[in-house]
Amino acid sequence: MTRKAIIYAIASVFTILIGLNTLALCQAQDTGKEELKLQLPKPMFIGTPRNIKTANLEVITGKPRGPFFAPKGTKLVSLKKPVLSSDMQPVIGELNFVTDGEKSGEDGYFVELGPGKQWVQIDLGAETVLNAILIWHYHSQARVYRDVVVQVANDKDFVTGVTTVFNNDHDNTTGLGIGKDKEYIETNEGRLVDPKGVKARYIRLCSNGNTSNDMNHYVEVEVFGTPGK
Amino acid sequence: MNKTAFGGLFLIVLFGAVLLRGPGLGLRPMHHDEANQAVKFGLLLEKGEYRYDPADHHGPALYYLTLPIAWVAGKSTLASLEETTLRFLPVLFGVGIILLLLIFVKDMGRPAVLVAGLCASLSPAFSYYSRFYIQEMIFVFFCLGFIGSIWRYLKRPGPGWAIAWGLFVGLMYATKETSVIIFAAVAGALVLTRFTQKKRSGGPAAPARMRPAHLILALAAAVVMAALFFSSFFSNPKGIVDSVAAFQAYLAKGGAAGFHAHPWWYYLGLLTHVSSGGLVWSEALVLALACFGLLSAALKRDRLTVFLSFYAILALTAFSLIPYKTPWNLLPFYAGFILLAGAGAAFVFERVRQRYLKIPIGLLLVLGFAHLGWQSYQANFRYHSDPRNPYVYAQTSPDYLRLVRRVDAVAALHPDHERLLIKVVCGPYETWPLPWSLRRYERVGYWTEAPAADGFEDAPIVIASQEIAEKIGPLLADKFQAEFYGLRPDVLLTLYIRNDLWDRFIKNKY
Repeated sequence: MTRKAIIYAIASVFTILIGLNTLALCQAQDTGKEELKLQLPKPMFIGTPRNIKTANLEVITGKPRGPFFAPKGTKLVSLKKPVLSSDMQPVIGELNFVTDGEKSGEDGYFVELGPGKQWVQIDLGAETVLNAILIWHYHSQARVYRDVVVQVANDKDFVTGVTTVFNNDHDNTTGLGIGKDKEYIETNEGRLVDPKGVKARYIRLCSNGNTSNDMNHYVEVEVFGTPGK
Repeated sequence: MNKTAFGGLFLIVLFGAVLLRGPGLGLRPMHHDEANQAVKFGLLLEKGEYRYDPADHHGPALYYLTLPIAWVAGKSTLASLEETTLRFLPVLFGVGIILLLLIFVKDMGRPAVLVAGLCASLSPAFSYYSRFYIQEMIFVFFCLGFIGSIWRYLKRPGPGWAIAWGLFVGLMYATKETSVIIFAAVAGALVLTRFTQKKRSGGPAAPARMRPAHLILALAAAVVMAALFFSSFFSNPKGIVDSVAAFQAYLAKGGAAGFHAHPWWYYLGLLTHVSSGGLVWSEALVLALACFGLLSAALKRDRLTVFLSFYAILALTAFSLIPYKTPWNLLPFYAGFILLAGAGAAFVFERVRQRYLKIPIGLLLVLGFAHLGWQSYQANFRYHSDPRNPYVYAQTSPDYLRLVRRVDAVAALHPDHERLLIKVVCGPYETWPLPWSLRRYERVGYWTEAPAADGFEDAPIVIASQEIAEKIGPLLADKFQAEFYGLRPDVLLTLYIRNDLWDRFIKNKY
């Protein structure tokens, strides 16, 4: 009797899990979404970084990120798009590295901006429905970039109509408002930000040094959207 | 090169050295070794207390030589000290090294000394550690003083130069225990120079040429100088005995290097080529010119160049064979190579007689020195704390300064201000440079284990190392706001701010 009960319990749990998964997939399909296929670079450090249990740091699970569903027709819209920055003359790398499609964590694939608060800005060329933004600052060492803020707008100067889609500046050091998102350790998976379909032409990413040094780095930023909508 | 041209160019070299060493001394966060020295000096400044520690911290010269600088700056307490005040001492000696090269003008000639000065002035290694509050730069100054004055003495024996090199010996010994390596390298170089050059007439000789009376005078000067420092100016005579006993501890340290164990080619690797994270560093220009210096020693057999060649090679070998290595330990032998680089450059221009060849060689050298200067600028002002800089070694991360600024900002809002209670619970490797950074706070407790701190609720601020934070984090989660900061690459500190104070801080900010 007890054995039977255990078998029934396990079978029920599996059925519920499969059911929930199917439901999620159906919902995604119902809402016209599909899994966004992301190309990740190879990891640069082995194992997971030590789990730091601090309120404003994301817990490290050591597992791959789950699938991300985006509206059908979503595609990479940032490849080779022009990039501006608060530091237009980086000592290491070029600003076009941000959108050149190269995501390797090795030397020669990242741009290094000066110390303190810095930003890069991608011009998509036209207003676009934004469905995902994937960011790799620097993934060959376990480090945390400070005050990461991602904003989108149609105004290239980011004065009017600015929408903040990610902000982990928990004490408003950047002056862009207090962020509720958590800080995170850089890995080869990058940071996936969901802009929830907001429409914009420009994407601006801010940071303020990192836990290893006070420089700002970008290996790649990928913006996924539905062009022409 | 006439005297006026030399004087003018040498002044420019000196000015370049000041520019790379003097500005922005507070830019780089205090290294834990610097902080440790600073707090030890603070005790001497405040209470006049100093006891030589045979187990650690090196010799007393650093602390006593900092005193006049602190007095002139009007500092009388540890709390009032600034990084700039302390680092001014190595800056003085770092620039002084270039001036000291003038002692070699008579024997090496003006062009050689000018190039050696340029190498020392622009070298990233020399400029970087000239802004570092540790013993190294004053030690190298005394080493060069010793080498220069013993050579001058051997050229023209007299009591003045005998006392001079004796004093430098005493000062070297009172600065760092590694002085014995330099003594051995200099003695070995003198013997080898005499052995290989004995058939030649003129010039200096080996120790055999020393007059006994002068030797006694030099040794007396050395002993008196060392005894003064080690005995804390006769208030702690035991320090003199301890200075000898210290070698046991340092011999053990040299063998069991642990974290500081590096392969024999570590120093040569640092100087020739380091590539990391998109940055490339090299002082190969100096080494290449030094190779011409070695060639000049072999061909011209000029005795000073031969002596310097033996010294540089012996000292490099000795330091390379010791498993315990830190990047600043390369400076004493690198100073020898820098002098050889001067001799090498002079040799090249002497041998190349064609004008059409001299011009491109000169241009190449100008470009090479410009690149050296650029690297120095990058090392000191942009990548001063970046692990990609080859001279950055277990350096405190700039992120740590945010922690210090946060503590200051929060404490300013607490009614007790600098009397608020701060509890630091960190292992020994994570504690420094906190005692330096929190020097203005009167109630700071340091523990290495959480239970020893006897609870945390009485403290508005708690700082914990990663390991401790994992244990106390859940206990503090409801009452404290936690933030983490990088202390060094891969080493984090967690700062806990009690919720009432955090709310006040956030409210005050907006």
